[in-house]
Amino acid sequence: MMHILNKKKLNQILTGWSTKYDIYAPQKVEDYSQFLPLGTADELALNEPHNTRFPPKSFFLPQSETLLKYDHRLKQLKEVVITPKPRIIFGIRPCDAYAVKLLDTVFDTAEYTDPYWKAKRNATLLIGMGCNDPCQTCFCTTVGHGPFNHDGLDALLTECQDNYFIETFTEKGNKLFSDLPAATKDQQRQVQEMQKKAAKSMQPAFDTTNLKQNLNQSFDSKYWAAISESCLGCGICTFLCPTCFCFDIVDEVQRNERIRNWDTCMFRIYSLEASGHNPRPTRKERTRQRIMHKYSYWIDHAGEIGCTGCGRCIRNCPVGLDIRAMLRAVNTFESETVNA
Amino acid sequence: METKLKIVLFQCQWCLYSEPDQQWVDHDLPPSIHLVKLPCTGRINPLFILNAIQGGADGIMISGCLPEKCHYKEGNLSALRQHEEFINLLDYIGYERDRIRFVWLDLQDRGRIQRELANFETSITELGKANNLATRVNAPSGGQYV
Amino acid sequence: MSETIVKLKTEIERLLNEDVIDVVIAFKQEDSPLRPQPAFFRNVAELEVLEYNSLCQNNLANYLTRFPQDTRIGIVVRGCESRSVNALIVEKQHQRENLYLIGIPCHGIVDIKKIFKKTGEEVTDYSENQDEVTVIVNGKEITFSRKELLHDSCLRCIHPNPVDADILLGDPLPEGDPNIARQEVESIEAMSRDERYAWFRHEAERCIRCYACREACPMCYCTECFVDHTAPRWTESDVSQAGMQAWHIIRAFHQTGRCTSCGACERACPMDIKLTYLTEKLNKDMRELYEFEAGLDSETQPPFASFNLDDKKRFIV
Repeated sequence: MMHILNKKKLNQILTGWSTKYDIYAPQKVEDYSQFLPLGTADELALNEPHNTRFPPKSFFLPQSETLLKYDHRLKQLKEVVITPKPRIIFGIRPCDAYAVKLLDTVFDTAEYTDPYWKAKRNATLLIGMGCNDPCQTCFCTTVGHGPFNHDGLDALLTECQDNYFIETFTEKGNKLFSDLPAATKDQQRQVQEMQKKAAKSMQPAFDTTNLKQNLNQSFDSKYWAAISESCLGCGICTFLCPTCFCFDIVDEVQRNERIRNWDTCMFRIYSLEASGHNPRPTRKERTRQRIMHKYSYWIDHAGEIGCTGCGRCIRNCPVGLDIRAMLRAVNTFESETVNA
Repeated sequence: METKLKIVLFQCQWCLYSEPDQQWVDHDLPPSIHLVKLPCTGRINPLFILNAIQGGADGIMISGCLPEKCHYKEGNLSALRQHEEFINLLDYIGYERDRIRFVWLDLQDRGRIQRELANFETSITELGKANNLATRVNAPSGGQYV
Repeated sequence: MSETIVKLKTEIERLLNEDVIDVVIAFKQEDSPLRPQPAFFRNVAELEVLEYNSLCQNNLANYLTRFPQDTRIGIVVRGCESRSVNALIVEKQHQRENLYLIGIPCHGIVDIKKIFKKTGEEVTDYSENQDEVTVIVNGKEITFSRKELLHDSCLRCIHPNPVDADILLGDPLPEGDPNIARQEVESIEAMSRDERYAWFRHEAERCIRCYACREACPMCYCTECFVDHTAPRWTESDVSQAGMQAWHIIRAFHQTGRCTSCGACERACPMDIKLTYLTEKLNKDMRELYEFEAGLDSETQPPFASFNLDDKKRFIV
């Protein structure tokens, strides 16, 4: 059943929820939007042309997370609270929500569950906002998703003229919206047409049919040196990526805390071993690693591509590298050199 | 919130020639003063000063030998320019320049270190606690994005 | 501007054909709109995609330290880049004899964030001339004056002309006014101490420690950066206030007397942090205390690399 909510009543609903949940919604910071506690800014930034600059994976895997605290003198560990208050992430885009689901294959598996991740996951509801006008840097449809996909969400809002139309997918999502009136059959049809149109408007960015094979075959080719030459080796693409999850654990002795921080395969020291040997000594190996991991090795571990097409890496790369162009090139590079 | 003053003394190990003075610094320093002994003021990396400030130091005193009397010949001169500019930078972002003081000790001037420290403690008491940059003690390790 | 591309292409073709250099560092066409990329040309066929316009926002001198010193490198240099090249030569990171500098007097870099702020990000096309910039958004043409879109560092630029070049493609432009360069720093200095700290804290707390500023800067070439040291550990690598403030303060401080105010750090930052507010203060102090600007020639040592017995007169109380 699809519910209908007049836009003017949204604040009322959110305030109603805020007695039981902490609510985070996109709001404007400087020139970009960011998930912040409700009320931080005067108004919500729900219909920005694209997703927030900083990815919502930080709600489950914070950039810096204290794992434990200790007291030297007493030789004791001190308790660290890992379960947050129940909260709602409101206005998350389908690409980011699916990315959280992808990360479950890393942090919440049959063999091992990360307690810090799990506690936060259990306490969180994801209410999505679909994308009526996907922007030119988005490519979710190319990697098997879409601007109104609901996989990973508890509910999804679609904006249409003066109303939000809400579809719910889980019991928790259902409960939040059950008091709202149902949309008429005509309205439902209109909304579904709009959703299809938005997905259709996105051109495929690269061909994924033989992508994994082409990547694997190109492992030793000169393609990587050419592609990675201008890459700076900063952490922008990895830190802003909603599916990147690598971390580094460090004991900050001056704070008496053990902290888990995001790490990135783009840094030289990421793969530097204590002996001084570095299996990825130059820029070429590191850039290659990032792309192979995202589009080939993820398939080995989770059965699907580890990218949801959010476009942050393209919009924020300081040297204008575009992962879509890089993948189009790998699809044609080998065949060109073979035929040459 | 901490209310006791914390002053860090970076002392060059050669600048206190007289035994009584060095003994006093080693054993009888007032409780608010913490000692860091170095081979030369030229060894001081701005990171040391910043680390002390972030740990809550309300004042930093650096005592070294007079410029032409350095045990390592030019150690203290090479650091001079950097320290001066670092203090300018810290003042620019909100840590008053008067909280950092350099004292160049003449080896003959007995008792000077006690006088300077007493003097410094008074002026830091007047300036009060430095809360601005003491971020290792007054801010958590997580960031602003949950 | 396309006249410049023609001249540039001819010169690079000559350099490659006459085997003067092994590689030319310049820019190539965008893969996604409004983002031309740094490129490395090793044969004439690759020059099809050569690009040069005001959207070329990276400091190319950054790539010099990637090549061994005996590589013969041709490089496109504008004002600030040529000073970065000199600063690298002073620090013995490269040798002038192996560099061929293709100088282009610079009209300033257009800040794409300023364009996007005015028009949204769905820009599909871009063109420019000396005074104006035109973009196409949703099929419509919108024109701006160049001045309103220039990056803040370029508005403060004192030296738009390459200070050293083997060939100059374009007429020299008038020098900038150092008084304008000082204004931003002076307006911050005029604030009260607590306001200055609040400003610093506000800028630093957005940081995500991606180190793009470090990687985009030509003068940050240390194999092991101070933030990567674990023993002893002076700065934290977490995103606490302490860690980020220490990172910003010390990185800026390590640039004293070496920074050429190119602004590449600020343009690279994904969180829109105004990084130049710290480095500009240090650059202003270097100009006023030591009459020194980084990279004006390839021999003068920066102030911190030397000392003068007269210094003590200012510092010793």
